[in-house]
Amino acid sequence: MTASPTTPPPVLKARGVRLGFAGTTVLEGVDLDLHPREFVAVVGASGVGKSTLLRALAGLFAPQAGTIEIPKGQGDDTRAWSMVFQAPRLFPWRRVRGNVELGLEGLALSRAERRRRALEPLTLVGLEDYAERWPHTLSGGQQQRVGIARALAVRPRVLFMDEPFSALDAITRRRLQQELVDLRRRTEAAIVFVTHDIEEAVLLADRIMVLGGQAPGTPAGVVATREIPLPLEARRDHPDFADHLQAIEQHIRGGP
Amino acid sequence: MITPLPRSRRSLLSALGLAGFLLLWELALRSALLPGSLVPLPSSIPGVLAAEISDGIWLEVVTASLSHYSVGVLLGSLLGIAVGVAAALLPVFDALHAWLARLLRPIPPLAWIPFAIIWFGIKPSAAAFIISIGVFWINYFASYSAVRSVDPGFDEVAQAFGQGRFLARLTKVSLPAAAPGILGGLRAGLGQGWMTVVAAELFGIPGIGQRMMEASSLLATDIVVVYMLTIAGLYAVFDFLFMRLQRRLLRWQP
Repeated sequence: MTASPTTPPPVLKARGVRLGFAGTTVLEGVDLDLHPREFVAVVGASGVGKSTLLRALAGLFAPQAGTIEIPKGQGDDTRAWSMVFQAPRLFPWRRVRGNVELGLEGLALSRAERRRRALEPLTLVGLEDYAERWPHTLSGGQQQRVGIARALAVRPRVLFMDEPFSALDAITRRRLQQELVDLRRRTEAAIVFVTHDIEEAVLLADRIMVLGGQAPGTPAGVVATREIPLPLEARRDHPDFADHLQAIEQHIRGGP
Repeated sequence: MITPLPRSRRSLLSALGLAGFLLLWELALRSALLPGSLVPLPSSIPGVLAAEISDGIWLEVVTASLSHYSVGVLLGSLLGIAVGVAAALLPVFDALHAWLARLLRPIPPLAWIPFAIIWFGIKPSAAAFIISIGVFWINYFASYSAVRSVDPGFDEVAQAFGQGRFLARLTKVSLPAAAPGILGGLRAGLGQGWMTVVAAELFGIPGIGQRMMEASSLLATDIVVVYMLTIAGLYAVFDFLFMRLQRRLLRWQP
């Protein structure tokens, strides 16, 4: 199949993905076409395999079956994908700038270019003045911003985010959600975002993939996929916001 | 609850404790509570030290011991860290050497003296070999457990950012993350090294140990004490310098 000139090919293509541990299958039948700059949220009850699916899509976890393709990015100064983890997981022995440079090491960049490329995303997340600080001197929210900057620095085509805001307090979480909305305008990356927070998913995503159990004792699967065709600005205040929220909740509870 | 003393008060009390001990020692000898043949007068030590230095003996034996110590500690530390880190990162190597390590570990460094003499002769290299054995095990275990307890989450980060190859993971995750434990082992090894120096020189290799043996056979306890204090002083200097280096290398720690 060849893509038509008007629709660029997907930046991630998954077919029939089946995941499990040691002989048991946890999740099966996952298909996903992720389009350039698209934001797909993956929701579902805890233990359903959301984070494992994310790791499998990234190639950090081997699926039992199925194919996952992330076409290589252009040029040798970017990476095809990168990840923001639930805990920031900054290297405490590197300064903030050193942490952001991690993914740039080994790319075709001079030292000076690497420095510059690290400062760009730090500026985007408002932490350019913190470049020379040690991670432990930053707050939890600032550390997660550095985690986001580290992921953006490699200019990924696909950005995987694994419940990146779940460990933060409510106020910081809300602020970072808004920052992510703003960030999307300034990056090329398509995003796969795992969360257990349905509101967060409806707030941020273009499309939501709901994982759930089909019948007791059988592996989970994709129970619904829902487009969220609302403008990103002030989504919470949109009259349809609550309807989408309710629909997703129903899917998770196993309703129609 | 135990309330800590202010720092200046603590130092003052420590100094008082040491001075009190020396004073009691001196008085016990002068009042003939202790026979002078067992221990020397503390007040005689500075004079004996000065004599050892002006005879050139002090510098000679200290230099000799320092060279055994440095070679032994350097060799033992490097090998200990290399083997410990390799065992922690390479499961096949870990399995291959596990029983051998368990077999060799309990053998005290001094039990190797016969082999040291057979292999190296009564030479400085034999002393360095003995010293390196004790230092090796300390560094081996410290590095092994430090690398094993590195948060696997860091390895996943390395993998997610294109640093998943063995060498990149080693230099960018394993070694820096394990550095506190590895440096702790190094520091313990620096101390252990001094403990073996004397024993390693007892069988005739020139150095502090041999000088102490000579002195004790002549019942010159004052000379023995001079070199005991010399070792304590050298250890303090090394430990102080190493602590500064350690603090600098680990300045990223909270």
